[in-house]
Parts: sequence; C-alpha cells; structure tokens
Amino acid sequence: MEYMTKAEWGRRNEEQRGQETMDMQEEIIAKVQEIPPLSTSAAELVTLMGNPDHELQKTVRIVECDAALTARVLQVVNSAGFGLMEPTTSIARAVSYLGEKMVLGIALDACTGSTLRRPLEGYEGKADTLWEHNLRTAIASREIAKFAREDLSGDIAFTGGLLHDIGKAIVSEFLSGFAGDIVSKIDAGDATDYVSAEHEMLGTDHSIVGYEVARRWKLASPLPEIIRFHHIPSEAEKGVRALAYAVHLGDIIAMMGGIGTGSDDMMYHLDAGFSEFIQISQREFEKIMLEVEVEFSRTRSSIFGKEDIPS
Amino acid sequence: MGVLTLGVGGLGAARDPGTVIRTHALGSCVAVLLLDPKTRSVGMAHIALPDSKINDRKAQETPGYFADTGIPALVREMSRLGCNGNGKGMIVKLVGGAKIMDPNNTFNIGKRNVLAIKKVLWAHGMGVVAEDVGGNISRTVSLDVNTGRVVISSAGRNNWSI
Repeated sequence: MEYMTKAEWGRRNEEQRGQETMDMQEEIIAKVQEIPPLSTSAAELVTLMGNPDHELQKTVRIVECDAALTARVLQVVNSAGFGLMEPTTSIARAVSYLGEKMVLGIALDACTGSTLRRPLEGYEGKADTLWEHNLRTAIASREIAKFAREDLSGDIAFTGGLLHDIGKAIVSEFLSGFAGDIVSKIDAGDATDYVSAEHEMLGTDHSIVGYEVARRWKLASPLPEIIRFHHIPSEAEKGVRALAYAVHLGDIIAMMGGIGTGSDDMMYHLDAGFSEFIQISQREFEKIMLEVEVEFSRTRSSIFGKEDIPS
Repeated sequence: MGVLTLGVGGLGAARDPGTVIRTHALGSCVAVLLLDPKTRSVGMAHIALPDSKINDRKAQETPGYFADTGIPALVREMSRLGCNGNGKGMIVKLVGGAKIMDPNNTFNIGKRNVLAIKKVLWAHGMGVVAEDVGGNISRTVSLDVNTGRVVISSAGRNNWSI
C-alpha cells in the first residue's frame, strides 16, 4: 500500500476515508501475523510467572535449557550494573541475584528486541523508547500492585507492564508522519485523547492491536486483557480489572517520570475508578515514582548497557 | 563549550560562551532555569518531586531531585561562577510540570512541583518572570549561555521559546 501524504489525507472525502481505514485495518492485521513468535523459553517464563506458587528452580531449568538465554543472563549479571565482587557462572545464582522478573525481561528482549527496540516513527520516539517505557511501566505496575485492595500478583502486573504497549510496535508504522496532526487534533479538542485519535485514524488502536499480538503469542489470560484495557481498565471484566488498573497507573507513572514513547506522552486519561481497586495516597504515589526511577536506572544499565545521564 | 545534559535530579551552571544546558522529557518534573545578567551565567535544575522529606538520603545524594533542596543547591552552584549567593537579581524561568488528562487533578505532581518551587523561590526573594508549565505535554528544554535563549521542544510540535 502507498501511504498518503498529510495533504492527501485532508482531501479525502468521508467515503474514501472509510475505505482507506478498512484497508489499513487489514494491513495492520497482516502485520500482527508477521510479528516474530516468542521463543520457547520466553513463553514458558511468561506462563510460569502467571502461577504465583511456582518454584524458583523451574525458572533456573528454563534458562539452562536455552544456551543463548544462559549466555545473556550471565552477561547481564556479571555487568558493572550489578557490581558482583566475583563473576558467576552459576545460573541458579544468577537468577537469584537478578530476580525472576529481570530474567523474564532478558528473555523477552532476546526474542522481541528487534521489534521493541526499533524507533517508533509514528510517535516520533527514538530507538529503545518502547522497551524502556515498557520496562519502567513493569516496575511501576509491580509496585502499584502492592497497594491493591485485594491480593494481587506483582509478577503478573510486571509482565503485563512489560508487554502493555507492544501494539505500538505495529501501529507506529501506520501513524508515521501524522504525530503533529494527532497532537494538534487533541490540543484543539477534536479528539479526546491519543487512543481515540488513533482509533479515528486507523479504525483500531495500539491497545487492540497489542491484544491481537498477545493472542498470536498465545499468552494466557489475563495478559491479553491487561494489554487491551490498560487505558480503560473500568471496561475490563471484573476478574482482571484490578490488574488492568495496576498497569494503567504504572503506565502513568512511567510517563510522568519522562519515560514515555514520544508524541503521545501524557495524552491519556486517568481512569478515575482506580480507587475502588488500588488504595494509594499522593505521598505513596510520589514514593513509588522515586523507587521506580532508582530500580529502572539500575536495570536499564544492566540490560541495555546504558549509563544514566549524571544527576 | 558543548552541551551539558542533565538527568532527573541533575543541576548545573555554566558561563562559558557556546555552552548549552539541556534536559530531556520533563513529564511532571519541572526545570528551574536561572539567568544572571550580571555575570552572564546560566543554571538549570531538573526537579522531580516537591518535598525532600520523602527520602532524606536521596536529598543528600541528589539535592536537585526535590524543590526544597534543589533551588538552594542551584543558587550555590551559580555562586561558584561569581553570581550573588542569595540569588538576588537573577531571572527565573520554569518549564515542565505536565499532567495526565484528569479533570480531578489526582496525582497532579506537576502542579505540586510548580507550587513548591515558587514557594522556595519566594522565600529567597526570587520571582518567576516566565513559565511554560502544565498541560499534557512532555517537554525537553535547552538554555544557551550565549543568548540566554530558552528553547522548548516536544514530539509532534514545533520548537518554541519563552
């Protein structure tokens, strides 16, 4: 398909636009089918994290069965960011030092890195922007889960956060060149927020496309639902609503801390129903912002080898 | 010469011609910019939270992280370049303090940051002459020693100045 210029887009009449939108939706669906599958070890780790009673030994076994993942885990744990006195070659020790969630992050990076690390042109986001935003959201979502009114799995909140914006990796291409138009539209009040502007333009949006990617990866519930409803958790089924709210707030914390994905930063609504599921004060929220930043900086330098800009 | 890039909680001052101080993606954080016409020095702090009582250790390690510790630390940094140590006579500008879309202003840390910063500035007898704060925009800001020009950018928008 040839992409339209902005001027061409403006000239289309509504009927033509409707047809274009349908064509674009078909193209987006085709792109979802092209996304590389999760590696066996990443898929197994995601499933394992969904079970709150799993044993650490199972994580170790999954890593040991994947030579490339073993090498990467050892490389990260022996990086300067972790500051071990002596390098380790033991996977059991490495998993224990890094924590299972970090191991999951490394496994997902190993198999989706090329997709998640590309620049998000449609959002005018640089390379690694999406990965970093997902990671920051994951850490924040896990912290928010501790303030849930019901018992909530921090592991699932983390995994949900790590994958919540995966749909942007696909829709970005279709939004390329339109970031300025979308921002102007929202500023003028012609679209209520970035998700609705995406929907109006593409006939779909990054949360719906992300849900389709999660289904293609055969991710178990509630992960597809968390991805689908992370901007509108009040519309999720009751059983997954609390987790969707945890990731919703985690996403907001990441954006407030300056780690968003580009032109859409801060252009989403807070779903006010969160207080029914998450009990958190202003001060606790600020504390989480600080804690998340510290852990994110350490994790980022270990996984990406990036040093922080000095404070 | 060159670009001095500040991270979250970072602060810095410069008077060498050709130097630019910059900080990226402010989100709800606020950049406090000081310009001293007398010495032609400039300074900037990237403030993340209003009150250092939340974490004393962080405040000691990174005073620029909080409004109440960041502004005195920035003024001290400026005084090393020959500026007045009490901040008098400096031009003050603020950038950032964005919020998520929420009519109830829950978790509006950006607004709390701006208010806390103004309170500390007033206590030092300093007032803000220009600001670009609030809204649903994550801003990047740079301050040029040569011209004193403040340039703000944000994805999907043309650059602007205050």
